[in-house]
Amino acid sequence: MPRVKKIIKVKNKQGLHARPAALFVQIANKFESVITVKKDKDIVNGKSIMGILMLGAEKGSVIQIEADGKDAYQAITELEALLLKDE
Amino acid sequence: MKIMDFLSKKAIVLNIKSTKKEEVIKELVDALINAEEIEKRHRNKIVDALLAREKLGSTAIGQGIAIPHAKSEYVEKLVAALGISSSGVNFDALDEEPVYIIFLLLAPQDSAGPHLKALASISRLLKDKYFRENLKACKDEKSIINLINQEDEKKV
Repeated sequence: MPRVKKIIKVKNKQGLHARPAALFVQIANKFESVITVKKDKDIVNGKSIMGILMLGAEKGSVIQIEADGKDAYQAITELEALLLKDE
Repeated sequence: MKIMDFLSKKAIVLNIKSTKKEEVIKELVDALINAEEIEKRHRNKIVDALLAREKLGSTAIGQGIAIPHAKSEYVEKLVAALGISSSGVNFDALDEEPVYIIFLLLAPQDSAGPHLKALASISRLLKDKYFRENLKACKDEKSIINLINQEDEKKV
């Protein structure tokens, strides 16, 4: 089973607030892979809006997304595309 | 950020009456008006802003929690109301579950940073299942404040 990690700088100008967090989770939930998001010392479930919000990831903060499972590559590709949008 | 830094003590509603999203939002906005956190003459504008935000996507974040929120020119500082519903409210959640804990958050325009920090604090506060159960079991506002204060104290 592939495990894919990616370190990303949040581009969204308001950070990962409620709406992008919900979009992130909607994408994450399409995949079978276990998805985690890490910021500083916090590691949260990438399929939980509450988890993502807990990170309080502002614009410019650096997070690590990791997917573990057979669709890990596709999951990371789609999640990264969302995080790199700067709207 | 501590919850009690922005949660209005007088805007804690233990028995949310309505089971409809729109009515619950109005109930909590009225609680903030009664607590003199916002002005009554801005009620409709603020309610509209909150409902407009819900139209973009539900603010239910899972585990029976919703955090309706909006930025508004009629709000001077970050402020929140808390409602507990025993019967559950249909908040159009992604997981389709009703919500029981509703944190309504209002922020001034151009306050992305504090707003994000407040959302993070609320999520951190409510992530624990036992805490959520304890919160729902509170019989009065004072016990809710005590419970939240205890969690706030754990933050260094």
